[in-house]
Amino acid sequence: MSFGVVPRSGNQTLHLWPNHVPATKIGGGGGGSWRVAQRRREGSWSAGLSSSSFRTRAAVEERGFVAAKGSFYELLGISEGGSYDEIKKAYKQLARKYHPDVSPPDRTEEYTRRFIEVQEAYETLSDPGRRALYDRDLARGLHLAFSTRKRFDEELEERSGWRNHWQDQIAELKRRSMNKDAGENLSWGARMRRQRAESSVE
Amino acid sequence: MPSLLCPHWLGGADLHSHQHQYRLLKTRKRPCVCASLSEHGEYHSQRPPTPLLDTINYPIHMKNLSIKELKQLGDELRSDIIFHVSKTGGHLGSSLGVVELTVALHHVFNAPQDKILWDVGHQSYPHKILTGRRDKMPTLRQTNGLSGFTKRSESEYDSFGAGHSSTSISAALGMAVGRDLKGRKNNVIAVIGDGAMTAGQAYEAMNNAGYLDSDMIVILNDNKQVSLPTANLDGPIPPVGALSSALSRLQSSRPLRELREVAKGVTKQIGGSMHKLAAKVDEYARGMISGSGSTLFEELGLYYIGPVDGHNMDDLVTILKEVKSTKTTGPVFIHVVTEKGRGYPYAERAADKYHGVAKFDPSTGKQFKSSTKTQSYTNYFAEALISEAEVDKDIVAIHAAMGGGTGLNYFLRRFPTRCFDVGIAEQHAVTFAAGLACEGLKPFCAIYSSFLQRAYDQVIHDVDLQKLPVRFAMDRAGLVGADGPTHCGSFDVTYMACLPNMVVMAPSDEAELFHMVATAAAIDDRPSCFRYPRGNGVGVPLPAGNKGVPLEVGKGRILIEGERVALLGYGAAVQGCLAAASLLEEHSLKVTVADARFCKPLDHALIRSLARSHELLITVEEGSIGGFGSHVAQFMSLDGLLDGTTKWRPVVLPDRYIDHGSPADQLSEAGLTPSHIAATVFNILGQTREALEIMS
Repeated sequence: MSFGVVPRSGNQTLHLWPNHVPATKIGGGGGGSWRVAQRRREGSWSAGLSSSSFRTRAAVEERGFVAAKGSFYELLGISEGGSYDEIKKAYKQLARKYHPDVSPPDRTEEYTRRFIEVQEAYETLSDPGRRALYDRDLARGLHLAFSTRKRFDEELEERSGWRNHWQDQIAELKRRSMNKDAGENLSWGARMRRQRAESSVE
Repeated sequence: MPSLLCPHWLGGADLHSHQHQYRLLKTRKRPCVCASLSEHGEYHSQRPPTPLLDTINYPIHMKNLSIKELKQLGDELRSDIIFHVSKTGGHLGSSLGVVELTVALHHVFNAPQDKILWDVGHQSYPHKILTGRRDKMPTLRQTNGLSGFTKRSESEYDSFGAGHSSTSISAALGMAVGRDLKGRKNNVIAVIGDGAMTAGQAYEAMNNAGYLDSDMIVILNDNKQVSLPTANLDGPIPPVGALSSALSRLQSSRPLRELREVAKGVTKQIGGSMHKLAAKVDEYARGMISGSGSTLFEELGLYYIGPVDGHNMDDLVTILKEVKSTKTTGPVFIHVVTEKGRGYPYAERAADKYHGVAKFDPSTGKQFKSSTKTQSYTNYFAEALISEAEVDKDIVAIHAAMGGGTGLNYFLRRFPTRCFDVGIAEQHAVTFAAGLACEGLKPFCAIYSSFLQRAYDQVIHDVDLQKLPVRFAMDRAGLVGADGPTHCGSFDVTYMACLPNMVVMAPSDEAELFHMVATAAAIDDRPSCFRYPRGNGVGVPLPAGNKGVPLEVGKGRILIEGERVALLGYGAAVQGCLAAASLLEEHSLKVTVADARFCKPLDHALIRSLARSHELLITVEEGSIGGFGSHVAQFMSLDGLLDGTTKWRPVVLPDRYIDHGSPADQLSEAGLTPSHIAATVFNILGQTREALEIMS
C-alpha cells in the first residue's frame, strides 16, 4: 500500500514505501518535537532478546525516533485483543480523520504526524507476526518507539537479502574481468598484467 | 544471528590425547565450544577447551577444514581471545568482531606469500593466534612480549606495522605495485575499519588504487561505529560524520534490490540476450537509486561488493574464494558488516564495546581496575578545561575520535555543543581549530602527542604561521607503556619548540596542569601547547575550585635549593629529578632541582642563575634530542654561559625506539629512571664508585 501524499505545508514527502519514515520533524517548526527514546538496558531484558534489543535501541537512537505516548492499541482506540476487522475499521476511520488533505489548515503538521502514527500502528497490528512481537514487548512494559521493531525486522530481512545482492556483484566482477585487460585499457595495472602475461608465454 | 552453543567439558583428559582422538575419529561427538552468546556465560578463568584450535599452528593447517569446522574454529578462537585478553588486558571488542573474517582470510589465502594488512593492528589478535603466536599470547603488550599491534619484526605474517590508523590501503597498494613490478603473483588484502575510513589518507590511497588499477582487495570492516565507542559516556551516540549514513544506506539499499529482482525476473523470461541490457540497467540503477553509496567507491575506481554479513563464515569464504579465483580484477572493495565485541555478551552490551580493557574476569566481565589515590592526567585535564569553560563561553574543545582517551567525553557531557569530534582526521582537526580561532573562539585541540605528528604541516602552516591562538593539549607525551613506539610521544617538544610563534610548556604535576590549562586559555595572541604523560597524578593538592591560575609566561620555579649540581627538569621528568635528588642526598650530595615549566620562551634568568651558581647543569626531559635540552644549550652558548667552567649535560630519550612494555621497564631501558639520573650526576662529577652503587 502506498501513499503519495504531500503534507500541505512543509517540505517533507511521505515516502512511497510507508515503512520508511523520515527521522526529522514533519513540516519543520511548530508544535512538538521528536524526542529520542532514552531507554537504558536494564537487566530485565531477557537473554534471547539481548543483542536484538541492543540493535533495536541503537536503531532508535540512530534514527532519532520518538517515544510513543501510548500503545498502538490506545492510538487506534481498540482493545488489546482486537480482531483484524476492528483494527482495520479503526484505522480507516482515523486515516480519514487525520489525512493531511482534510485537516484543518492550522493543524496540518499535527494531523500529518498523527496520520503517520496511525498508519504505522495499522501496519504493525495487521501483520500477525509483527503484532505478536509487539504484544510481547508491550507485555514487558516496553514501549518501543514507532518503527524500531519494524526496523529491526527489516534489518534481519535485509541481511538475508544481501546474499542475492553480492552474488550478482560477483557475477558482474567475473564478467568484467574477461575484458579487463583488452587493448583499450591503458591503466598502469592493465599494462603490467599484459606485460606479465606476454613474458610468461615466452 | 548468534548461535547458542553449549559448553562441553572435556573432563580431565589432557589436550594431546584429544588432538589424537580428534584426528582418528571421523564421526566424533558434536564438539561444543563455549564462547558464543550464552547469557549464562560459561567463561572460565582457566583455559577453555579448544580442540580444533589446538591443531592449528599456522594458516596452512586450516586449508582442509570444512565450513562447519571453520565455524567451530571461529568459536574456539573467540574463547581463546577472551581468555587471553582477560589475563593481559588489551583491545578486546575489535578482535572479537573480526574472528570470522580472520579465519576466512587465512583459510582462503596463503599468508605469508599473500599479504594481509590490518589497519591499526589492534584487531589482529585472532590473526596472531592463527599465525604461530598462540603460545606467546600471555605476553601480549608486555615487556619483551608480543606487540599489541602488527609488527614486521615480530613475524613474517605481519606484513606491515601499524598503530596509527588509515595506513593500510596505502601500504597495500605499494605492495601490490611492488609485486607487479617484480613479476610476482600473490594477493594483497587490506582490512580497514569504518572509523579509519574517516581519515583522508584512506581516500588518497583508494583514489590512487583506482587510477593504477593494480589487483588488490580492500575489506571495509564496518561495525557502524565511525568513531570509537568510548567517545560518549552515556551510551552510543549517532556515529560521526556523513560517511556513516552513506554506509548505512549501502546496507539497506532495498529499492535497488527490488529493482534488481524485477530485472532478473524479466531477464529470465526473455532470455540470455537481455543479459547485457540487464547488466547495463544494473549499473545505471546503482548510480541512481543507491544514491551516493556504492558509487563513492566505484567513482574512486574500486569494484564494490557488499554488504556482506561479517559473521557468516559461509558467505565470507564464498566471496573471498570467488574474488581470489578471478584473474585481473583490479582493486576490489568488499564491504563487510560486523559487530564489535561479538560473541561476548558483556562486550556487546557495553557502551564502549570493550574497545580497550584492563584485565578482567571472563565470567562476569568486570574489569580489575586498581584503585589509586590520584586520577589520571587525562581526567585532570578534562576537569581543568571544564572549569575554564564554565567562566569563558568562548572555549571549545576539538578531538579526533578520541573522546575517551582525551577525557573530552566529560567535556561533551557538560557542554554538548562545544565539543567537536571530527573522526580520525587530525589534519582537519587542526585547521578546523584554526578556523574557529579566526572567529574569536578559544579552541583546545586535544590530540595525543604521536597522533599530532600527522597534522604537523597544519600546525605550522595554518596555526603557527598565522599566529592563531589554538591551544594544543598533547596527552600521552613521553613513553606510554604497553602501546609501544607507535603511540609514544617522544618528539613533540622538538617539533613544537622549533616553531617561531608557539608557546611550549609542560606541567610537572597535576596542579601545574590546572594552571597551564588556565595559562593556555589566557594566551590569546599566539598558539600554545602543553604536554602531559600517560599515568596518574602524584598527589599534590589541587587548586581551589579545580580552577587553575594563569602562570607568568616564561618563568620556571626552583623546587629544591642545593649546590654544585642543578637538575633542570621539564614536564613529568621533574618528578624523576626529585626522586634522583633524594637518592643523591643519601650519598651526601644535595642538588638543586628546578622545574623549567616553559620550553618556549625559556626562563633566561633562571638558567643564568643556575649556570652561575653551579658547576654542572643537567637538563632532563622525556623527549628526543632537539627538545628542551637543546634549547637550553643554544641559549647558554649564545649567552656565554658555557665559556667558563660550567658544564651542561642533557638527559633525553635515546636515539632508538623503545619497545612496548611496562612503564617502569621502558624508563629503565631508556635510561631515565631516578637511579639513572643520579648515577649520571656522579659519573660527570667523577665519582664513579657512587654511580655504580646507585645503579646496582
